[in-house]
Amino acid sequence: MPSRNRVAYAFLAPYLLIFATFWVWPIISSFLLSFQNTRVNPWRFQPSLNWGRLVADPAFYNALYNTLIILVIQVPVMIALATVMAVLLNSPLLKARPLYRFAFFAPVVVGEVAYAAVFRLMFSADFGIINKLITSIGFAPVSWFDNATAAMILIIIAVTWRWAGYNAIIILAGLQSIPGDVYEAATLDRVSKRQQFLHITLPLLKPIILFCAVLSVIGTMQLFTEPFLITNRGGPGGGTETLGLLLYRQGFTSLNFGYASAIAYTIAALAIAISLLNLWVAREPK
Amino acid sequence: MAGLSLKNVTKRYGMLEVIHGANLEIADGEFVVFVGPSGCGKSTLLRMIAGLEDIVEGEIRIGGKVVNDAEPSDRGIAMVFQSYALYPHMTVGENLSFGLRMNGNPRVDTERRVRRAAEILQINELMQRRPKQLSGGQRQRVAIGRAIVREPQVFLFDEPLSNLDAELRVQMRVEISRLHKQLGTTMVYVTHDQTEAMTLADKIVVLRAGKIEQVGAPLDLYDDPANRFVAGFVGSPKMNFLETKVTSSDATGVSVSLDCEPAVRLSLPVKTPIAEGTAVTLGVRPEHFLTAGSGDADLTVHVDVAEHLGNTSYVHASTAGGEQLIIERPESRTVANRDQLTVALSARRTFLFDSQGNRLR
Ligand SMILES: Nc1ncnc2c1ncn2[C@@H]1O[C@H](COP(=O)(O)OP(=O)(O)O)[C@@H](O)[C@H]1O
Ligand SMILES: [Mg+2]
Repeated sequence: MPSRNRVAYAFLAPYLLIFATFWVWPIISSFLLSFQNTRVNPWRFQPSLNWGRLVADPAFYNALYNTLIILVIQVPVMIALATVMAVLLNSPLLKARPLYRFAFFAPVVVGEVAYAAVFRLMFSADFGIINKLITSIGFAPVSWFDNATAAMILIIIAVTWRWAGYNAIIILAGLQSIPGDVYEAATLDRVSKRQQFLHITLPLLKPIILFCAVLSVIGTMQLFTEPFLITNRGGPGGGTETLGLLLYRQGFTSLNFGYASAIAYTIAALAIAISLLNLWVAREPK
Repeated sequence: MAGLSLKNVTKRYGMLEVIHGANLEIADGEFVVFVGPSGCGKSTLLRMIAGLEDIVEGEIRIGGKVVNDAEPSDRGIAMVFQSYALYPHMTVGENLSFGLRMNGNPRVDTERRVRRAAEILQINELMQRRPKQLSGGQRQRVAIGRAIVREPQVFLFDEPLSNLDAELRVQMRVEISRLHKQLGTTMVYVTHDQTEAMTLADKIVVLRAGKIEQVGAPLDLYDDPANRFVAGFVGSPKMNFLETKVTSSDATGVSVSLDCEPAVRLSLPVKTPIAEGTAVTLGVRPEHFLTAGSGDADLTVHVDVAEHLGNTSYVHASTAGGEQLIIERPESRTVANRDQLTVALSARRTFLFDSQGNRLR
């Protein structure tokens, strides 16, 4: 190696060392961990224990089911909502645009615990504002934390509230990169606003929307905060337990790191698989 | 096909007035070029005709009909944008047919129009490509094709060639001219390039700061500019302007003298009486200097830089009074930097302007 390169690597060494210790090693280590029995002391290599348990564990399937249900409903709803929000934000008719932009983005900045507390208050069965609204228009109040379906809906609403604005800002950036004269040309071509949206805006936004979808899939696969803080640790009775929550319970409540690692690897593999599927479905026709 | 008429057309952005009451008649089939420096309001005026900007005051008629409140798509116009504004995700063929398809135009007719446009512009081979797979010139052709497909009564071009390199610009200029002959449709063309204006136009409209300075055929503007601005804008290299003083004035003409050594006196056939001692500007085109002794007065200058192009030579020079000028002399191939050069002025080929820049006749 030329000495110039050696010097360069010497300067890079502290970073590479930290990167290897705290990034590469945990990945390898947790993979190895998933093949160990971590409930005996000392830990023993027992390759089929955790993975065998995983494929037979009803709690795992329940968490997987809940996670996928949330994913399948929440991601498309949120992306659609974010696109609409972005288009509205981009409208020249909108006054005080920076204010809205901030308001939409704010949920991302708000502390998770504060946000969860506010949601618990708003959806409280007895004195929450949501149930007040529901009863005021003549419906029966919903017990958001005791009914599994309602709790799932609550999770979906909360996650969407928190991340829709974030995605809207990303999509807005995409919208603003579409030159205005393309729309002027379409206007001269007698293409209606709706047709312009469907045939120009959406196709040109596709890569950005896809990017948001992949990010959201990854985020939702790891969903933890909302079911933990809002619906009482995956309640009622595991009705909103997600893979992230199951992982947490196995790792940090039961201290079964081997099984937790197996779950973690499953989450990552699923996130990658779904993202790839996403990209494949939306690939450019050649 | 249709003519166009602008009556007292005015545009304001808030308090800022950018078009000050433009009046203009454009005949059916005419090729009209709006020319002027950047920011003078050419695009704004064109976009008002297109309906992309609303009209604050005045009236625009296309084919006799007032279109002030008509939708852009109902005005019978098609526009070619400076940036081409092609739909990036569509093939060339889809770009051409998009508008017609969206409006449920019969398929056979759409195909016929697309085929015709592709033939006129010779882009048949490109139909399956996307805009980013095309060169600048090809994109420009597609943009023009999209306009042709609409079969408009009036074509509007906003600096369509300004993103092309010099060679391609000349080539496309000729093609646009040919297209006009072939289609015979009214065309309004915006450019800041006076060469494009001179070569393409039946009629040039010179704009400055939102005002129409002069309207006329290219050579009329060259031979008979209405003011110093038009005189300086039309022609390349630019007309020289020399500061002079009136020494005498009567019914037969005006005599002026240039502030230099030896003093240069020139009598001009200007009928307007002007007070003795008035400062006036003498305009001489670089190509209108004559061989010393063969004109009405001789002028000796100091050569700063001589550029020899073969077919002609441009001499950048300064007078004894320190004024800069450019002289075009095909005969001066041997003039070198720092030489003295004597040329003649011809009274017939000079213009006189007052201190406001108005032409004195
Ligand atoms: N949307 C706008 N708001 C305010 N001023 C504008 C706007 N568009 C153009 N202008 C002003 O109007 C003048 C004419 O602009 P434009 O028609 O684009 O000039 P040109 O095409 O001749 O270069 C310029 O001074 C420009 O700054
Ligand atoms: Mg312009």
